[in-house]
Amino acid sequence: MLLLALIGPYIAPFDPLAIDFRNRLVEPSWTHLLGTDGSGRDVLSRILYGAKLTILSTVTVIATVLFFGCILGIFSAFVGGTIDNFLMRIADVWLGFPPLILALGFAAALGSSLEAAILALIFSWWPTYARLSRMITVDILSKKFVASANALGVSTARKVTHYVLPNAFDILIIQVTLDISAVMLAISGLSFIGVGAQIPQPEWGAMIADGRSFTSKGWWVVTFPGLMIFITAMSFNIIGDMLRRELDPTLVTRH
Amino acid sequence: MRYVLERIAFSLFALFILIFITFLLSHVVPGDPAIAAAGPNAGAEKIQLIRERMGLDQPFHVQFLTYGSKVLAGDFGTSWFTHQPIADDIMRELPPSLELVVLAMLINLVISFPVGLIAARYHGSSFDNGVRVVAIAGAGLPIFWTAILLQQKVAADWQLFPVAGRLSFAYRDFEGATGFYLFDSLAQARLDVFLDLIMHMFLPALALSLLFTAVGVRITRTSMISEFRKDYVVMARAKGASEARIMFRHVFRNGATPSLTVFGMQFGWMLGATVLVEEIFGRPGIGRYAVKAVTQSDIHAVVGVVLVVGLVFVISNMAIDLILFAINPRKARED
Amino acid sequence: MPGAASATNASRDDAVLKLENVSIALSATRTTMVHSVSLSIDRGEIFGLAGESGSGKTLLMRTLFGLHDDAIIESGRMTFKGAEISSSGHRKRVRKLLGHEIGFVPQDPFSSLNPTMRIGKQIREALYLGKGISPKSGEAGKIALDLLDEVGISEPELAVDQFPDQFSGGMRQRIVIAIALSQEPSILVADEPTTALDAFTQRRIINLIIERSRTRNLTVILISHNLELLRQNVDRIAVMYGGQLFNILDSGEISEGAAHPYTVALFNCIPRKDMTLGDIRSIPGEPLSAGYGLTGCAFSKRCGLRQDVCDSSLIPVNSALARSFDACLVKAGRQA
Ligand SMILES: Nc1ncnc2c1ncn2[C@@H]1O[C@H](COP(=O)(O)OP(=O)(O)O)[C@@H](O)[C@H]1O
Ligand SMILES: [Mg+2]
Repeated sequence: MLLLALIGPYIAPFDPLAIDFRNRLVEPSWTHLLGTDGSGRDVLSRILYGAKLTILSTVTVIATVLFFGCILGIFSAFVGGTIDNFLMRIADVWLGFPPLILALGFAAALGSSLEAAILALIFSWWPTYARLSRMITVDILSKKFVASANALGVSTARKVTHYVLPNAFDILIIQVTLDISAVMLAISGLSFIGVGAQIPQPEWGAMIADGRSFTSKGWWVVTFPGLMIFITAMSFNIIGDMLRRELDPTLVTRH
Repeated sequence: MRYVLERIAFSLFALFILIFITFLLSHVVPGDPAIAAAGPNAGAEKIQLIRERMGLDQPFHVQFLTYGSKVLAGDFGTSWFTHQPIADDIMRELPPSLELVVLAMLINLVISFPVGLIAARYHGSSFDNGVRVVAIAGAGLPIFWTAILLQQKVAADWQLFPVAGRLSFAYRDFEGATGFYLFDSLAQARLDVFLDLIMHMFLPALALSLLFTAVGVRITRTSMISEFRKDYVVMARAKGASEARIMFRHVFRNGATPSLTVFGMQFGWMLGATVLVEEIFGRPGIGRYAVKAVTQSDIHAVVGVVLVVGLVFVISNMAIDLILFAINPRKARED
Repeated sequence: MPGAASATNASRDDAVLKLENVSIALSATRTTMVHSVSLSIDRGEIFGLAGESGSGKTLLMRTLFGLHDDAIIESGRMTFKGAEISSSGHRKRVRKLLGHEIGFVPQDPFSSLNPTMRIGKQIREALYLGKGISPKSGEAGKIALDLLDEVGISEPELAVDQFPDQFSGGMRQRIVIAIALSQEPSILVADEPTTALDAFTQRRIINLIIERSRTRNLTVILISHNLELLRQNVDRIAVMYGGQLFNILDSGEISEGAAHPYTVALFNCIPRKDMTLGDIRSIPGEPLSAGYGLTGCAFSKRCGLRQDVCDSSLIPVNSALARSFDACLVKAGRQA
């Protein structure tokens, strides 16, 4: 999938934005493998370009929440006490709220664009990682070898880089794979309702929104981008599930 | 008793956070809220007027307190695209959405519990493996795409269900006291209306529920599998209990408890996901209202929806936890 | 029905349970875990099954009585009250006996009771399943109260309306035993019924079981890793290790030193303070893995008497169903 996102733009046969009114809603054929949309744009090319857009946005969201969430979670675990308690209570509440609606709120406040949708999802997704990394850190700090490290006067920074991060890696990677599909569904959902990527942009959710008025005349315009979302999200779920069965901690998924 | 108080306190805290988030959304994030409130076509004078009227010259915490007390009093401001009080708009739009979510939830439960239970009973069988794969795959379904495909195939092509709307044209004059038409139609003994409502709801509810059902099946299955491994199952077998008895009298109840918490959360998430289906099926509801508000840049209306969905979420979670507590006090506290 | 079979055979043969070369395998991988166990248990006998944790006691007993989902009887014959039940449809056939002929008390008292069902209801369910007494009848209620009283639960009237988590481990274990006894089985298998308990409660529970055995001629199989506890309380003991049956002997013979070297080691590690338990217990479950078979003695790597023959020969099996049995290859060689 990542590969597809990288090379997609190079193997795309047509310009994803090139409008060609003489070739509107052409059925899938050898020239247009997946047909053309309501403005005569090649669906396959748009899907290939969209792979980059969709996956890049998803990765941006995940990387950011992973980074900030972990900083917050590890900080919270090291500080402990009331601050820790308070932060985690907030994370608990925040974590529960329907992410889509929360993101919708942020997107509305920020204005409709793909960047806004990404920011909105970052705002609604951070608690997963804050909670998870705090849990892992607390767990590791309670272990015996950390107690002996304390006795040796090991610095906090060293504890984080040498004990916490290596141990957290497995669990975080599983959560990331599982979240990729959820975030991707959320981004395309937001784009679909018009607060994410804007319509000529070849983002998969936006493409479906664009193709909606032609579903009866051109099933391919809606079917293929949706299929791509489905397949990509599903692959990440399967990878995540396989990883989890290897390591099997109890993790949460949000949808 | 202590547990109940703690749980209520947590809900109040959640409510506070919710109000704080929506305050950020409406007053801080957009930059100048006065511009946002005035709408895209307002002139500079109007903006200045609004700025004073909204008290934006006040310090931050005063603004927050004013905002909080207004919200708690049920005053969400006026929508500038419907020109109605937002609270009224939402009260009108909420019932059809809740009806839809309840039906979707029923579909979810009716599938998740039996399938999860049976897959767990025959853990490792080909049925179980099939269920696992379908559940994992299903958790990747884009709701809006499923909705469009169902609408196109099942409603438009096969004509098994109405394509859109809440009620058929023939019943356009139907009115009910509560706004929950399913309830109202039964109260008025209008079975024809009731059935028509269900027909209109079925596809959107199905589209809405599929993704959540996949997750529901997975969670129920996992929790049932761990129940089947416990010694009380061995004990029940040793007592001579039949497999059916073990499944329904012993395992089901224990395995259902942890998944109920998830279903409680899903209720709120589903209400949030109505933004993806209501518009497609042309149904009135809070989701479609939110989408409209977003596209019209009516930030206060969106924030109102966020508040209400959040509120439903807080309440449904608290209700589930308290119900679980009532059923089995000790177990609930452990979880 | 087994009842008919037992009526004809019981007069000739007093064995309640006979195992002839029974091997147990995991059904998923076909790995043989327990090898060729042969023994015979008499009616009314209190029989001990000993061996360190992981030696396969639970696996053997659960599989024999149809309570293991992942393991099967791979070969051999199991006879219950004269009727052969190990051939096709074994699990189904034993399950028909569960609840009235056979009682089984699982290992872990903390999870053997259903956490969301009241104690009274769990006993009444047993009475209904085992003896057909309607759960709602006054009779069921009365029997439940009497039983709880008998196993030493104070205030049984209160207890019946409580949930398992309101009781300590020892009390739960007694409740589980009360449930098993309520069905008046002719054989009771108790898997480590006292492991989680303090010495005083341990005594009480063992006494309760022994007393039942005396008064109702109940056959008991008591599983434990504590050989001293078995020596004090049972008639005969079988000792297992690594899925092999090493020794069957009268409990009185243990201290006489004629036992299998493993039995001696196991026995010695209990009372003597100069010997750490770690020395004995440190061997992992690895000897149980597939292909170990009967070639070589599972204990040889830890055994003081070890000779070459211990790793190369088949260990003896008790095919003759003798009352006493010793599988030590070294001792067998000395006699020959
Ligand atoms: N379902 C199973 N799948 C795989 N291995 C099992 C299973 N049940 C038991 N075992 C293995 O069988 C061995 C014997 O375990 P057990 O019968 O519990 O020993 P004991 O009761 O003597 O302590 C252990 O090594 C355990 O890992
Ligand atoms: Mg055991």
